[in-house]
Amino acid sequence: MSKEQRTISKEHGAKSMEQRKKYKKLYALCLIIFTLCSMLYALCFFTVDVDARVKGKCKDCHSMHYSSGGKEITYGGREGPFPVLTEGGCLGCHGQSPNGNQNIITMGKTRIPQVLHHMENGDLAAGNFYYVADGYNPDYSKGHNLKGISLQESPPMDVPPAFIRSVIIPGGIGPADWPGQQQLTCAGTWGCHGDRNIEDPFKSIYGAHHTDDSEIDGSTVGKSYRFLYGITGKEHKDWEYLATIDNHNGYRGDMNHSSMDTISYLCGECHARFHPHPNLGGSREVGQVYNPLWLRHPSDIAFSTVHGGFAGSEYQGYVKYSLEAPVAFDKPTGGENDVDMNSIIMCLSCHRAHASQNPDTLRWDYNSMFARSGAPETGCLTCHTKKGHD
Amino acid sequence: MKRQITLILTILSLCILFILQPSKNSSAVVTGDCEACHGLYPGMMEEAEPGKPPQYVLKNVLCVNCHSNADRDTIKMLGGARVPVVYNTVSPVRPLAGGNFHYVAKDFGERKGHNVEAVTSMDDRFKRAPPGYDRLADPSIIGYNPEKPLKCAGSNGCHGNRNVEDPFDSIMGAHHADDSIIDGSTTARSYRFLKNTNNVKGVVGLEDDEWNQNRTSKKHNEYSASIDLLCASCHGNFHSKNKTGKESPWFRHPTDIVLPKSGEYTSYNPDVPPPLGNESQRPDRPDIRIYSPDAPVGREKVPKSPSDEIKLGEDIVICLSCHVAHSGPYESILRWDYEAIIAGEEGKGGCFICHTGKGE
Repeated sequence: MSKEQRTISKEHGAKSMEQRKKYKKLYALCLIIFTLCSMLYALCFFTVDVDARVKGKCKDCHSMHYSSGGKEITYGGREGPFPVLTEGGCLGCHGQSPNGNQNIITMGKTRIPQVLHHMENGDLAAGNFYYVADGYNPDYSKGHNLKGISLQESPPMDVPPAFIRSVIIPGGIGPADWPGQQQLTCAGTWGCHGDRNIEDPFKSIYGAHHTDDSEIDGSTVGKSYRFLYGITGKEHKDWEYLATIDNHNGYRGDMNHSSMDTISYLCGECHARFHPHPNLGGSREVGQVYNPLWLRHPSDIAFSTVHGGFAGSEYQGYVKYSLEAPVAFDKPTGGENDVDMNSIIMCLSCHRAHASQNPDTLRWDYNSMFARSGAPETGCLTCHTKKGHD
Repeated sequence: MKRQITLILTILSLCILFILQPSKNSSAVVTGDCEACHGLYPGMMEEAEPGKPPQYVLKNVLCVNCHSNADRDTIKMLGGARVPVVYNTVSPVRPLAGGNFHYVAKDFGERKGHNVEAVTSMDDRFKRAPPGYDRLADPSIIGYNPEKPLKCAGSNGCHGNRNVEDPFDSIMGAHHADDSIIDGSTTARSYRFLKNTNNVKGVVGLEDDEWNQNRTSKKHNEYSASIDLLCASCHGNFHSKNKTGKESPWFRHPTDIVLPKSGEYTSYNPDVPPPLGNESQRPDRPDIRIYSPDAPVGREKVPKSPSDEIKLGEDIVICLSCHVAHSGPYESILRWDYEAIIAGEEGKGGCFICHTGKGE
């Protein structure tokens, strides 16, 4: 190699070294920017997720004196004033536009899930009371007949089906009787939300909306899943609107049906004979795990505890989380997309909590469920994978 | 010796007299030049037949005229008398306890104050009737007449005897009467001449000698629940237990109830915790907080001097805990900007002085 060539080669080497350094710098810069952006992105979601207590102006939800305009104001045709200075009670906020097309209404900084609305394909996790609401062509078989939305049903449906007196509930004992004239309320002794040891619905849920609920441990109403006292779980930030199979509500279940903080136990507080927990219907009413003969469809059991074992069972066919027939988990995160032997059947695997477009508040039309010829991975066949075909 | 004893007794007597003489603040009897108040305008008093008392003309504006100021001061001198200003035509400096009608007189919006005649026109929003008016809660034999404007005093006003329609007649003589004792027995002896009617006991309280112009936690008016009864005369639905609910759940924001010594209220006025080393920090006095002039309370028994202590479970939430009486810069005559009270964002002040758990 001539001197000139060596010089050129050296210059070349120096140049490529310099270029490599440049690339390295650029790469490092990109990495830093990417990391920062990722952190910022994550932070956005983190902020939303960790604290769901109500934010916003007091006046968005409360009316201090109920005196606006010099005349008594009404919400949804109901006359006030309303408890806890609310603008129309529970439904004044959560059912403020029954015929409207918004499933989540934003008022100031507060996002309010609507339990009664008319948005197409907008039903939230618990369904939509619209299907049973008086004035909107209701079908009472499709949901809970909530006071303020529907009239009370006729006997025997004026009492919760499978009701058992004085069952143990978080913090106390359930009602000793369910009087026929007692209609279901949103919260309190005769409802689902709040502390059911307190009869008054508003007193039972008092303060929950202003509680730091970044940790859901069931210790207080505010720190319970969806203010269902004693129940735990992971709350989807949009109440499952546009949920995906890896971003959904995380329901808590217990494969041994011996816990009181599961979502199914909450249902069992009123529909006791449907739940195998010893405090409720127990094995006498529902049957036993590993037993071939269930007396009623079980709840709070895992696929692994079925008769004959999980291996080779039809339940092995349910592998990806289904929003149509969701399952519960021992420690739910809301991000599970795999279903396995430890996944837990719950009441909400088949039913909605409030109301649905199907009879029996089911997630699907039971009349369309056909053994041997049903559409696979739908309705009952999501779990019972071998019943749909020969 | 006898002379010495006489001298000592004389000095002692003079000392006692000096000590016992009424302080300048203990009485609000107007002193000074008559003309300063009674001769504001030529023709202010109309001619009367011989033997009959002269009559005032322009009655509807006279209260306001005396208690107004063209500059920003909220206490003015008039013929040697200190006059509290309720209406500054320019933006007031340090408005008094009742607020200042400046905010409702200007185009700031009529929700910022009581629409008193001679300050502003009758209101449209509330259709001239006091919001929440309950005739049964109004002890006035005349009652509020929505066809007529709100006045300073009389049956359509707040001050004086509300069994008398004419504002001047209703407050007649009060400015010249001895009000060294505020016991609600007469208009003059009622807190700020708020007698309500002659059939009921007037408002009692401790009157700050500067009308709260320089209010602090240690120096301020002292209110009692009796002031709520006066408010309720026109806004009865906001006071009656039948209309507000009974304890929990309330249907309207309660008033005339004790500030609870539980829950979020135990942190009342969180920005000013009782000082360390103070007696209030002792375990035997856990229910003591520091008075906030921004969210004052009433006392079950009016103290002889203002106190900077709040006794949880004893002191009373009153209408004036949230509102001022006349007018203020904020809507609903609130002491603070309700629009700026945001729950859940670590807000301070305003509603959160009591509702300490809602701001976090």
